[in-house]
Amino acid sequence: MAKFVTIGERLSTTAPAVNKAFLERDPEPILKRAKQQLDAGAVYLDVNIGPAEGYGPDLMKWAVQLLQSEFDNVPLALDTSNKAAIEAGISVYNRSKGKPIVNSADAAGRIENIDLAAANDAIVIALCNGEGIAKDNDERMGYCQMLLERGLEHGMEPTDLWFDPLFLVVKGMQDKQMEVLECIKMFADMGLNSTGGLSNNSNGMPKHIRPIMDSALVAMAMMQGLTSAIVNPNDLRLMETIKSCDVFKNNTLYADSYLEI
Amino acid sequence: MPFTAKSGKFNAKINTVVVGTGDKAITIGGENVLPFYTFDDAIENAPKVGIEITDGGLAAEPECIQKFYEGCTTVADMAKKAATFEGVDFLSIRLEGGDPNGENKSTEELIQLVQEVADAVDVPLVVCGCKNVEKDAELLDKAASVLAGRNAMILAAKEENYKTIGASAGLAYKQIVGAESAVDINLAKQLNVLLTQLGVDGKSVVMNVGSAAAGYGFEYVVSTMDRVKAAALQQGDATLQMPIITPVASETWSVKEAISTEEDSPEWGSQEERGIDMEIETAAAVLASGSNAVILRHPESVKTIKNLISALV
Repeated sequence: MAKFVTIGERLSTTAPAVNKAFLERDPEPILKRAKQQLDAGAVYLDVNIGPAEGYGPDLMKWAVQLLQSEFDNVPLALDTSNKAAIEAGISVYNRSKGKPIVNSADAAGRIENIDLAAANDAIVIALCNGEGIAKDNDERMGYCQMLLERGLEHGMEPTDLWFDPLFLVVKGMQDKQMEVLECIKMFADMGLNSTGGLSNNSNGMPKHIRPIMDSALVAMAMMQGLTSAIVNPNDLRLMETIKSCDVFKNNTLYADSYLEI
Repeated sequence: MPFTAKSGKFNAKINTVVVGTGDKAITIGGENVLPFYTFDDAIENAPKVGIEITDGGLAAEPECIQKFYEGCTTVADMAKKAATFEGVDFLSIRLEGGDPNGENKSTEELIQLVQEVADAVDVPLVVCGCKNVEKDAELLDKAASVLAGRNAMILAAKEENYKTIGASAGLAYKQIVGAESAVDINLAKQLNVLLTQLGVDGKSVVMNVGSAAAGYGFEYVVSTMDRVKAAALQQGDATLQMPIITPVASETWSVKEAISTEEDSPEWGSQEERGIDMEIETAAAVLASGSNAVILRHPESVKTIKNLISALV
């Protein structure tokens, strides 16, 4: 099995400093955060520019070129609801270190992002969600089938659709957690890749608790067959847990210095 | 539905390492397929074959090998001659006389010898230590120094002495650093990590993951090499993408099949043939398991293995 793929989430307009840097095309804060994530072991970097109405294509091109030229063609997830921006980003993307990821498609308003990924030989995060949160795994797997068929119809490899079960917040949806984990197992049994915003689970919890919850969940999810997650790579506990799980799953060969590489 | 054969080539590949300088320099590694799987993708650099002599000179060679060195009086003479045998890509000088529990030759004496051998030949050089980790730290440090500019392979840094040998061979004198572990995949990886953390360029490291004569715990050698190549190619593990060199001769010429005389074991037939057979069988097996270079001792073995490789790649 391949190593778990971490997608670093810290380049997001939801962080005011990043938002400002994107708007002002100020490379320094972007590169700093990117480097921190890569040094910590992130494989992909997520580039969330928000909806970026109007200026999205220019901004995404700028961000892709900035990051790939500075960090040896680091593979990227292009994260925006702005389709033109994703296409513009892919048009300048160097895929020598990995295909671009389109973040994301769902089974409702954003289903066309599957077509976009197919047309550009990209990976797509396929959120098993329609309008609102799926009520159970029957509904999630229905969306999964629908998204998978859409991808295959457009000539995609099934492994280029990374299914997202949508991680749910514990505070409020504690009783749904095992269902999400079971859904990951269903993806894995079908031979499908999976990913998701893992830290959703710990939203609203005290800061010192979140790494503990995130680490426990990633271990359980990897046991179920999760192949990737969108995470904060600068959470040391989480990254150590992922590396350790990769050893247990025989995804990487153990060496005494495994946490340092 | 028509059958479409899937290529077994990987996205990752083994590092390419050049040993030696000038026209005679050799290149090992670079493949992105399993050993000899040329039907999956071209293998640019065929495995290479080296011949080994020791500081003990002619007297230290098995009787059946001595005749090939007729007329040689010094180790440097032997080196010159060895470099001319058919199929030889590189020369290995093993400093076994340095072992404090054996002859305990001085470092100065042995390094003088290394210098003479280096002056006598222009083929790529491999220097092997005496297997005593403290003495090797000293010997191989000095060897790396006198061979500066020859891009030689220093065999080898072990867990106990990697700092000295890595710093000398890898950092100070820019030689190729051998990383030796004894049939232990986790240690093989760890040693590569430690060497790179020391600052040695991973692209100038070659692994000796251990060997045994065929029939002497050899399954462990094969499974170690298989696992190393799987991690390097399938899992894209950069800490294991170093080419593998396997000193075969030092294993096979000491087992009973090679040393039992015809008087003692008449039913086994010719002693020379047995020795050659053990060497060829072991070399062929480690090559099939992923070794990128082997070190042999009998000129007939060298020629045979070279032919085998040429027929397959």
